Amino acid sequence: MDDGDRLNLDSGGVTQMATLGLRTISTVKLRWLFAFFLALAFLFPIVWSLLNSFKTSAGASAVPTSYWPEEWSLENYGAIWSYGRGLAVYTWNSLVLAVLTVFGTVVLSMLGGYGFARFEFPGRNVLFFLCLLPMLVPYQTILTPLFVIATRLEIHNSLLGLSLVYILFQLPFSLFLMRNTFESVPKELEEAAVMDGCGHIGILRHITFSIVKPGLITVALFAFINSWNEFFAALLFLNSEDSFTLPIVLATIRAGQLGQVDWGALQAGVIVSIVPCMLLFLILQRHYIEGLTGGAVKE
Amino acid sequence: MNEKTSAGRSVAPWRASRKLIGFLFVLPSVVFVLVMLVTPLCLTIWMSLHKWPLFGEIEFAGWRNYSKVLADVQFWKSLWFTTEYTLTVTPLILGTAFCLALLVKGGYRNVGLFRTAYFLPVVIGFAASSLLWVWMLNDQLGIVNRILLDLGIIDAPVVWLGRKSTALLSINLSIVWKVVGLSMIILLSGMQAISREIIEAASIDGAGSLRRITHITVPMIRRSIALVLVITVVGSYLAFDHFYIMTRGGPQNETITAVYWIFTNSFTYFKMGYGAALSMILLVMLLVLSVAQIRLLEKNQHG
Amino acid sequence: MTLMSREGSNPQIYRLLDEWNANHELQIRATLVPQRDFMTKFGVSLAGGVVPDLVAIDLIYVPRFTSIGQLIDITDIVQAMPFADSLVPSHMRLSSWQGKNYGLPFAVEASFLLYNKQLFRAAGLDPERAPLNWEEIYDYAQRINAVGPDTFGFYFSGACGGCAIFTLAPLIWASGGDIADEAFTTSSIDSAEVRAALQFYRRMWDAGFVPPGAVVDGGENFTAAFLTGKIGMIASGAFVIEQLETNYSHLDYGVALLPGQHGGAASFAGGDVIAIPKKAKYVEEAREFLHWFAERDVQERNYAAFRVLPVRLDLAGHPAYANPAMQVALETLRIGRTPMTPKYNDLIGDLNGPWSLLIQQAIFGDDMQQAIEDADRRFQEIMDE
Repeated sequence: MDDGDRLNLDSGGVTQMATLGLRTISTVKLRWLFAFFLALAFLFPIVWSLLNSFKTSAGASAVPTSYWPEEWSLENYGAIWSYGRGLAVYTWNSLVLAVLTVFGTVVLSMLGGYGFARFEFPGRNVLFFLCLLPMLVPYQTILTPLFVIATRLEIHNSLLGLSLVYILFQLPFSLFLMRNTFESVPKELEEAAVMDGCGHIGILRHITFSIVKPGLITVALFAFINSWNEFFAALLFLNSEDSFTLPIVLATIRAGQLGQVDWGALQAGVIVSIVPCMLLFLILQRHYIEGLTGGAVKE
Repeated sequence: MNEKTSAGRSVAPWRASRKLIGFLFVLPSVVFVLVMLVTPLCLTIWMSLHKWPLFGEIEFAGWRNYSKVLADVQFWKSLWFTTEYTLTVTPLILGTAFCLALLVKGGYRNVGLFRTAYFLPVVIGFAASSLLWVWMLNDQLGIVNRILLDLGIIDAPVVWLGRKSTALLSINLSIVWKVVGLSMIILLSGMQAISREIIEAASIDGAGSLRRITHITVPMIRRSIALVLVITVVGSYLAFDHFYIMTRGGPQNETITAVYWIFTNSFTYFKMGYGAALSMILLVMLLVLSVAQIRLLEKNQHG
Repeated sequence: MTLMSREGSNPQIYRLLDEWNANHELQIRATLVPQRDFMTKFGVSLAGGVVPDLVAIDLIYVPRFTSIGQLIDITDIVQAMPFADSLVPSHMRLSSWQGKNYGLPFAVEASFLLYNKQLFRAAGLDPERAPLNWEEIYDYAQRINAVGPDTFGFYFSGACGGCAIFTLAPLIWASGGDIADEAFTTSSIDSAEVRAALQFYRRMWDAGFVPPGAVVDGGENFTAAFLTGKIGMIASGAFVIEQLETNYSHLDYGVALLPGQHGGAASFAGGDVIAIPKKAKYVEEAREFLHWFAERDVQERNYAAFRVLPVRLDLAGHPAYANPAMQVALETLRIGRTPMTPKYNDLIGDLNGPWSLLIQQAIFGDDMQQAIEDADRRFQEIMDE
């Protein structure tokens, strides 16, 4: 009846109820309508921002604001394109940073998740808890000590150094997810690999590309999103404008000239920062949903 | 633990090497956390025992920072405000996520699309979300006022962020919008794991929908609810970005969260030692809170 | 080498750098940092030992850094300048410490009263006669407010300590009062002049002369508000003149000095100072830049030609400044005052500090007296630390 994915367990029950009469059929219709309008409400802010980004600069700052652009224009995107060193530079930096973060997070959480899930060793729970600790630490707190350490190691003004910080804060969620994902892998699969004579890494590879890929994709997606959007650590760590990332530049656009905000440019900036994450999410959606549902909770 | 099926091999050495292998697998993560978190954290603890301005003389202060915290009116105000805020927004998020999960559980067309729509705000950053909402809530050119005015619901533009009550309402709305999708998915996955037999048995028994939900669904997804609660509570206690960008702690300093105050002390006043002490206190509180939550909910499960 | 500056206040930076880079071997790259986070970024960079070679800091924060020896002594550069006496006094004063100079004015302005002549005419007021005391401001605002449903007589940013000191403090000064003593060791927040100024603003707010959105304006909107053409009067600075002359030439505007309660005038001198942090890498070249940018021809090409106020008042006669508004702006530079204290950020700049809180509570809150007393106490606490 639906997309064919797993999340419509209820379809059987509802069909049964539907045969009970008109009243129950319209319940479904009502639900659909409700869900539909709610979806519109959820999407509204983003769509509204998109629409405004195509207004002229004056149009975007007009009072009262018009629902529909009176004049369509790309001038807002033009304004942010040539801003500072150029949007291309900042986007590239954000991209490199995100890729580094994703790589580090995926590798660490894959190995770690497997280890925590499948092996027993003394201190396992303690170590797992230790790895969850970053989640509880107020992030800004350790930024200055981290910065000082980073300057000593001379990695502060680099995207690599910054990515290490991001990986740290992605680890709790990622490890948790990967551990749960591995735990839900049927033992038979592993035993089959063992019987085939695989070493431990071989087992891992065997399982990885069949079952836990969704989990990995989820981990990668969140690592990308959080890295792409992070502002404060990037501001503190990066010194030369050549290495600035998108969020920093967006903050300057927002501040605008003294006493003025270029609202149109701001919307264009918001859209530019949202679009990559949204696209990735939409493309990877299938895997991602499986990843969370398979990995998030074991009842 | 796997029993070895190959004949003749004794189990013990394999088990011992298994322990080592397992340890090796988790070693990279553990080392990473030790270096990147524990070391700076120790430095933070060390800083909290000193008067440590960003520049200038560093002097040992023992527990003086901590005793200053006790007398710090703003900190306790912030903590209280953060607690108030957490107590308001957590049930909101949990309740909305639960309803949304029920709504998109399935049974009609396009449910996947709706799921996507509700989840989409999760993938934009907190800063972008805050900016978006500040703009929409602007009293002159914000769309919220425009729509409300056109619909006749209000007579004059409302300055949403100008009073604590409406500011909190706005922030709660923007936060729920942003994060509820994630909780929805977590709850959904839990619901989905409830075996079909149980549901069918319940409907055959004549249990109405509401009954089914409260007596079967909710208890069976306890672990999902626990997860949502923990991340929501922790996240709310650590709330910062929305308050920094949308209200700037105002109006009249009434919306300064705990982390905002820590941030101000560390990065505006450059009192790193004192900021460190505040952070440690918050960290310990969160630790206790999280452990308590988990214990409480786990116990319920087996109780 | 690198120059670090805050975004938005230095439009001439890129022009200057382009000219330098065209004529010198060592190139300068600018790093612009979001305004609100500038102090944090610069402070943390200093602490980490990672500094730009040149830095343009808001002049009110310079004492913080000179008092702890974080900037390089450039007294010799200043003394070598034949025009040293005409460098804007406030900037020079704030970048000195114990007799030595540590910075030069880089971006200069001071506050004045900006008003809309068209609205004056519409309200039956003489567009060439600006208000000379607070009663006149109130009266003018009332008339302008009556012109139309969406015109307002006055504007100020209600959630911005920095803006308030720029615009409200001169009113207090011109009335003979101050927020503290010269050395900033004793608070005088709880004084008649301060109370009178706050009450004056409050009266205008309660009377509806100020748009409701002003209560949440953290400094992002005060220029835009005036540029809508719906605001009668606002305290602003010379940075707005360029905009008014080019993009908003349809607005007929006037500029006058900010008056005290019963007359007189005062101004807050602000802007940026350029200095060389200790531990900078290219100190010699940075010093050369400091020599270079204040030269007459460089100033004329990059500042005057774009209607930006010069860092040296002996260039006041340049034709670009002949515009009457610019003349008033130059006058404000001459009479401009600036509070000088290393604790500026804690007291006044901080958006959640006592000064910002005072503005919000006294003007929009319930108990002005309590707000004043609390702010006075907190001021004193910080000064005593």
